[in-house]
Amino acid sequence: MIYQVTHRTTFTYTEPVAISHHVLRLALRTHPRQHSLRSSLSIDPIPSVRSDGKDYFGNPLTHLTIQTPHPALIVEAQTVVDVQKPESIHLDQSLSWDQVPQRLQGSTDPEILDAQQFLFDSPYITVDDGTYDFVCECFPPGRPLLAGVMDLTSRIFQDFTYEGGVTDVSTPVQEVLHSRKGVCQDFAHLEIAALRSLGLPARYISGYLLTHPPEGQKKLVGADASHAWLSTWCPDIGWVDFDPTNNCIPHDEHISLAWGRDYGDVSPINGFMVGGGQHTPTVSVDVSPVSLPSIV
Amino acid sequence: MNSLSPETPGSFSSPPLQYPPQTDTFDELVDQDGSVRTHWQDFLKGFSTLNANERRLAQETADRMLKGDGVTYLAGQDGQQSDRPWQLDLFPLVIGQEEWQQLEAGLIQRARLLNHILSDLYGPQQLLKNGTLPPAVVFGNPQFLQPCHNVPVQGGTYLHFLAFDVARAPDGQWWVLRDRTEAPSGAGFALENRIIASRALPDLFDAARVQRLSSFFQTFSQNFLEFSQRDDPLAVVLSPGPQNMAYFEHAYLSRYLGYPVVEGSDMTVRDDRLYLKTVDGLKPVDLVLRRIYSDLCDPLELSTESTLGIPGLLQSIRAGHVTIGNALGSGLVDSEVLLSFLPTLCQFFFSEGLKIPSVATWWCGQDSERAYVFENMQKLMIRRVLTPKRDLSHSRRSSFGPDLTQQDQQELIRAITRRGHEYVGREIVSPSTAPFWGASDRLKPVPMTLRLYLTATKDGYTVMPGGLARVSVQSDPRAHWHEPGDFSKDTWVKGDGIFDHQPVLGSPHQTLLLRRGGRDLPSRTADNLFWLGRYIERAEGAIRLLRSLFLRTSGEAGSSDEPETLSRLVSLLVMQKHLTPRRAKRAVEGGADMVEAELRTILFDPDSPDGLAIILQNVRRTAELVRHRLSQDTWNILIDLTSIPKEWTRTKGQSIDDAIRLLSRMIQHLAAVNGMVMENMTRSYAWRFLEMGRRLERVRHLSKLIRHLASRGTPEATGALNLLLEVADSSITYRTRYRAEAQLAAVLDLLLADETNPRSVIFQLQTFDAHMGDLPHEETAASLNPAQKIITRVCTDIRLTDMIQIAELTKTTKVRANLVRLLKQLDLGVQQLSDIVAHTYFSHSLSQRISGPQWLEGIP
Repeated sequence: MIYQVTHRTTFTYTEPVAISHHVLRLALRTHPRQHSLRSSLSIDPIPSVRSDGKDYFGNPLTHLTIQTPHPALIVEAQTVVDVQKPESIHLDQSLSWDQVPQRLQGSTDPEILDAQQFLFDSPYITVDDGTYDFVCECFPPGRPLLAGVMDLTSRIFQDFTYEGGVTDVSTPVQEVLHSRKGVCQDFAHLEIAALRSLGLPARYISGYLLTHPPEGQKKLVGADASHAWLSTWCPDIGWVDFDPTNNCIPHDEHISLAWGRDYGDVSPINGFMVGGGQHTPTVSVDVSPVSLPSIV
Repeated sequence: MNSLSPETPGSFSSPPLQYPPQTDTFDELVDQDGSVRTHWQDFLKGFSTLNANERRLAQETADRMLKGDGVTYLAGQDGQQSDRPWQLDLFPLVIGQEEWQQLEAGLIQRARLLNHILSDLYGPQQLLKNGTLPPAVVFGNPQFLQPCHNVPVQGGTYLHFLAFDVARAPDGQWWVLRDRTEAPSGAGFALENRIIASRALPDLFDAARVQRLSSFFQTFSQNFLEFSQRDDPLAVVLSPGPQNMAYFEHAYLSRYLGYPVVEGSDMTVRDDRLYLKTVDGLKPVDLVLRRIYSDLCDPLELSTESTLGIPGLLQSIRAGHVTIGNALGSGLVDSEVLLSFLPTLCQFFFSEGLKIPSVATWWCGQDSERAYVFENMQKLMIRRVLTPKRDLSHSRRSSFGPDLTQQDQQELIRAITRRGHEYVGREIVSPSTAPFWGASDRLKPVPMTLRLYLTATKDGYTVMPGGLARVSVQSDPRAHWHEPGDFSKDTWVKGDGIFDHQPVLGSPHQTLLLRRGGRDLPSRTADNLFWLGRYIERAEGAIRLLRSLFLRTSGEAGSSDEPETLSRLVSLLVMQKHLTPRRAKRAVEGGADMVEAELRTILFDPDSPDGLAIILQNVRRTAELVRHRLSQDTWNILIDLTSIPKEWTRTKGQSIDDAIRLLSRMIQHLAAVNGMVMENMTRSYAWRFLEMGRRLERVRHLSKLIRHLASRGTPEATGALNLLLEVADSSITYRTRYRAEAQLAAVLDLLLADETNPRSVIFQLQTFDAHMGDLPHEETAASLNPAQKIITRVCTDIRLTDMIQIAELTKTTKVRANLVRLLKQLDLGVQQLSDIVAHTYFSHSLSQRISGPQWLEGIP
């Protein structure tokens, strides 16, 4: 499936900003199922300093500094990306979850070493007895790992209410666990915490989701949104994505932007400025399927 | 019980040498047979010749120096902070030369090792790839900062300045308790201890042939500066600011090394280069001696919550424009989880054994170690060491096995079973004892640990020949962190007697390594100097006024005053905010006695929000912030000045005469400060900002006084004019000039318009103008800049004013409206000038975070 993704963020300041520094993670990363065919990042005003590279987790990132006074900042990322369907997975045929920690220990396999980066507490995700108790039900001894994770995913989908505005990016999972409310990033953080409680690697994925307008209505441009889900590592199979907000294993309608230990590692726009007064960001995201010949 | 000399042990009059060491530990001073160890003999011989008086004198010298230097550290206990005096026990720790050399070799090896580990983990990560280190040690450690991976580090030197906490086991073997690789504190205190100990016990110090400390700091600085490619590099000490517990030390190192002490908001990154904001514009910074945690240094890429860092710093490091000591992320290797791996790592890198062992530590991230900890829990200290929460205090991270109840143990075991990699078990140390002298003038053995410092040089690491010894007098000696109630000691490392002919560091206030003059005055320092000038002047105004008021309420002068004058005095107190209007009204109704009583209670009242005590506190606070710009004598006078209120509380009876005497002394102190500033300070930008603050404040004060004392009524008749002249310190000038009773027009002329009177408004403004003209400023085409325009306008107004005419009272209003108008112009001008100075030179505004949307719109 090929998509055109447009992600536009506008910051409007009440006073001119004298200088601002930004780190952007807005270029889609590639992975075996996802290839970026064309991408561009336009920034207004034109930054005085800009450098593109990759972060520690392999996500493309852009540093920029704007040194001329500016009343607003507009960042627009446009990507054409090819996303392939994952191979079908038999959840019940995965390794039993309680054998995973042993498989991790002492191994010098690069893939296993890499997986262990997503095993421990990170700035936005701390595990504790609460997350441990929460996850145990889904993981009786010997249960195949992926079956357990799917069960956990469904449980979060069923027991938690999707509600915007009650949490923010820094809301601890403990609070979400208590209130049973949140948005996609909270559910992703919670499920990651739950898996890490058991010594299972889990990483946070930020990205986009193709949305379908209600029957008979035309799709509105810019009404799509950023999304977040997670991925867990299964021996012999590799990383498998799960989306607790939609109770599914992402297929070819989830487009990954970046991954890391938690939201903090993949935040699309970080910035600091001198001056500026108050600011309000507005974001518009548009994900549209395209047919190949028209863009090549 | 051992007696160390043939003399009978006894009280204050004889040498305090009775010394009973504990039998089950190693004692630094005496061996198992009770004989004094060889390397102590010279010192002890000298010490035993001191008589009681000399001993008392030595202790007093030390106390005075500690107080005079304002040596404090802020001890935080469960979030509560208090300013504590630094505690020094004068009796030093002596270490023999041979033993020292062994210790040195071991520590140098360890420093190299830690640097190697850092350069691997922040680079190729071979140690992880080949399985030498388990991933949890790195990935589970919040001190591993992913954005610092592959950031280039000049010369591969991650650790420029590090420390080790060591202690001696009962068998005499030294052990390392902790590695300190982030930004180890205490070296400044070690230096201060040395200066004090060598002065309080000068003969003993000379005789002991102690290795000097000064060359260590020079070595550090020389090598550090060489990490910059520029000829004349700018190095700074990056501090969290005066609220930090170690700020005293940051300022101290800054003075000693000649690097300005700065905060994150004093710097900015432009074009991937780090700059210091100075009054002369942005100056590139080449080197940063970091005194804040790595993850707080760059909020853009590290901890976004930090307000202490500089957004973009990491990019400027990547661009190779700046070197940070220690490199960001260095805290990774001071983790206790690494301790049990060091022998293996030492073999891996150097194919040799670890020369100094670490205290036995078991990391619970491994099955066999965890099992050991569970079995031996009762005799171990259990520490939770890998938690992202830095605010977890040492005591809350640690449990002592012997103190645990059955239930505690069960809980701990459960926690460790689930999250073993966060925990270590450590042997509980029983360190050696060293003699504590203290105020009781008796020696007693107390547990001791030692912090030793190293710095990187071109030829490897070098150890500071000395260190910070810590003795636990009351606190738990099992703890290896600094607790309130601990004393420090100077550490005397015996040398061979051949020294580089460095003086014993002389004054701590000498800037030995200063490389540059006043041109790099940081904006913040300029701001503080400006305000110091203002506060000093404000104090002087308040003190002069109070003294004049006291003189008028007492004795003959008091009784002769008209009631109107009395109420005017009181209204002045209200103006100075020494008195609330309500209390003032009551006092006036009560007559002269009541006023006097009020005066005495409000004098130095620490609770009054605006009174003299607060002004003096502000003087002291701002002086501390710019202490590196003041001479030792100026500093001493300021400290004396600000401690005079304490004398008042100690004064019996608190008579009016006592008050006048103290106030006069304060005025003398202020005169001395002003003299110092005029005669001893170089005419740098620093001096100009101090002066500009004083001048503006004086105008403000004069304007207030004139308005209160002369804008209505008949000030000639009430004595208000004499008061005005007195407070404005212009009585003599007036008398010699006019040889007549004070008349308003003449007084106004003298205080407002007389360019030859150094107390007049116009004189202040002209002086201010001259200073401002000498500061760096942007060249403008316009003939006058905004500040000059204001000054010209106000001065012209004053010059054009007919003093006789504005002194006249309008019959209808009873107020000298033209005078009031002129004074309002003046006040406005002062305010505008102050704003212009701040706007032009003091911009150290904090960066604020720009956040994207606070929550993501997922699709349910």
